[in-house]
Amino acid sequence: MDNDAFLPQIARIDAVRDETPDTKTFTLRFREPEDSKAFRFLPGQFVELPVFGYGEAPFCIASSPTRPDTFETTIRRTGSLTDALHVLGPGAEVGIRGPFGNGFDVEGARGKDLLFVAGGIGLPPLRSLIRNVLDERDGFRSVTILYGARTPVDLVYKDELKEWETASGVEFHVTVDNTLPGWTGNVGMVPILFTKTTLRPESTIAYVCGPPIMIKFVVQDLFMRGFREESVISTLERMMQCGIGKCNHCAIGHRYVCRDGPVFNFKQIRELIE
Amino acid sequence: MKMQPHVLTIRKRDATKWLAKLLESRDVIAPALGPCGEVLFSKVDSPEQVLWDFENPLPPPKQFVLPQTDPIVRIQQDNHRTEVAPIYDDRQRVLFNVRPCDARGIAFLTQMHEMEPADASYLRRAEKLTVISLACNTPCRLGFCVCSDSGPFLSAGHDIQLTDLGEKYLAEIGTAKGEGAVSDAAGLFDAATEDEVVRRKELEAEARGHFGEETCHFASAMRRVSTRRVADALWERMSDWCLECGACNFICPTCYCFSVKDRGCNGTWTRCRTWDSCQYAAFTLEASGHNPRAQPGERMRRRFFHKVSAQYYVRDGATGCVGCGRCIKVCLGTTDMPAVVAAIRKGAWHGQ
Repeated sequence: MDNDAFLPQIARIDAVRDETPDTKTFTLRFREPEDSKAFRFLPGQFVELPVFGYGEAPFCIASSPTRPDTFETTIRRTGSLTDALHVLGPGAEVGIRGPFGNGFDVEGARGKDLLFVAGGIGLPPLRSLIRNVLDERDGFRSVTILYGARTPVDLVYKDELKEWETASGVEFHVTVDNTLPGWTGNVGMVPILFTKTTLRPESTIAYVCGPPIMIKFVVQDLFMRGFREESVISTLERMMQCGIGKCNHCAIGHRYVCRDGPVFNFKQIRELIE
Repeated sequence: MKMQPHVLTIRKRDATKWLAKLLESRDVIAPALGPCGEVLFSKVDSPEQVLWDFENPLPPPKQFVLPQTDPIVRIQQDNHRTEVAPIYDDRQRVLFNVRPCDARGIAFLTQMHEMEPADASYLRRAEKLTVISLACNTPCRLGFCVCSDSGPFLSAGHDIQLTDLGEKYLAEIGTAKGEGAVSDAAGLFDAATEDEVVRRKELEAEARGHFGEETCHFASAMRRVSTRRVADALWERMSDWCLECGACNFICPTCYCFSVKDRGCNGTWTRCRTWDSCQYAAFTLEASGHNPRAQPGERMRRRFFHKVSAQYYVRDGATGCVGCGRCIKVCLGTTDMPAVVAAIRKGAWHGQ
């Protein structure tokens, strides 16, 4: 009983990288080596990150479990807690509780074609799985990544996108809703990228993450193109406080996004009753 | 903690001595007169303060297991080094003369916090709290505990249940904790006679007889709520009457939704769990501005799904209502449990 669910571990910020004008990626390392050893996670899981004096909020883990020791989380500045976090630099201490949630079924995806569709700040949770898949590339069939953002400035992981563009074994397409001077790529909403690639609905698992409106149109499109509800997977977001299915903020019916999710397929999402 | 239940009696004049004995080693919380003459559950200093004939206080005793602001973690930051430590409440306490509905409420909360992953700060506090309930020979005016199997007498789940037999109190010991609370004053108790046990059964039957016909038809509401067969328009009409004050949540013996906040300044903070209400718009408001339950009707639907759906009934083994009737008393908008359950059954609110 001493292992209190509300007691955070202490992590230090190792590095901070600017992604967009309002989004940063934080590399975190546990202060105590035993905490680091005990921290095992799946792509798609999240942590509660206390910024002391401001409370805590849930953030997805954006790095891959295949690269332990440190982990990353990509955070947009949207409120008092994230404002406070964004001014912290290397060496500063924050808390970590978790990992929480079910995560993606990586084993179940082996041997399948994988399609990743992300919008804006929806890429970080998928990036954890993408990096995991690319680190164990032989275990999976084709890997297709479709990514869109409002403007070229809003694209996260810009260096990594370039790598994906040229990497063998990855098909990568990117688009922006509104162009800016210097952008020579695709312009339009994410679904336009479906015409640039060959979809194989019967053998593919599609992972979709982004703002609600983008998910709505992408998923409609996927179903129209023959995808089954079970093979379209998303991660849900809700206001959360505890991360362990007690506080009820993230409840949908009797399911809890923090514990039963955040990863659901669209059949499960349709069956959520409240 | 389960043990063979056994039954004792104590003379009414000895009950004071028993309380005095309990006060030597424990905090005793009981219904007592507050500063303005109102009945409140509060810590008493002498046996005479404990009320035996009282109207159930409006605030339930859940604050003694789940305080409105509950410190759970101490955080100290010096020279950029942070230390955190859990805060536990290890006081030995007795909750005396609570009604069966409230005893059920506390059992409900404990069961919820025991679910994996267990909540250590709650459970340690609850472990040291002995609940001694006083069965209701006469039902209260607004109670409908018979509808949710939470009274007027308890058949299981109590540490000790007292019944007023006239000259004596019958004490049914249900757990080892209950046993501990009588063993300190063993000389005051006698084994109950068969007649006394029979009398208790008669009193329960009489008390049940005092309730009119069933006033809160959970089963039929449950069918509709669990399958989403309550029209959105009905929730909308009902929520027009809801003031979104959250009072129903705060006085409900089984409501436990909470938020976690840091309080303090300058490197010393206390992480607190505080009561929250699912009826507040900000309860589900996300940082992005998106709110999955932006409409009051959606929030009311949520409240009653959690209280009476079959999905939660299967998980918890009980409805999230103990029939204490407090929401009827406190709700200015009349969207209390029996009223909403009735509206769900009829498919109409105020005839519409």
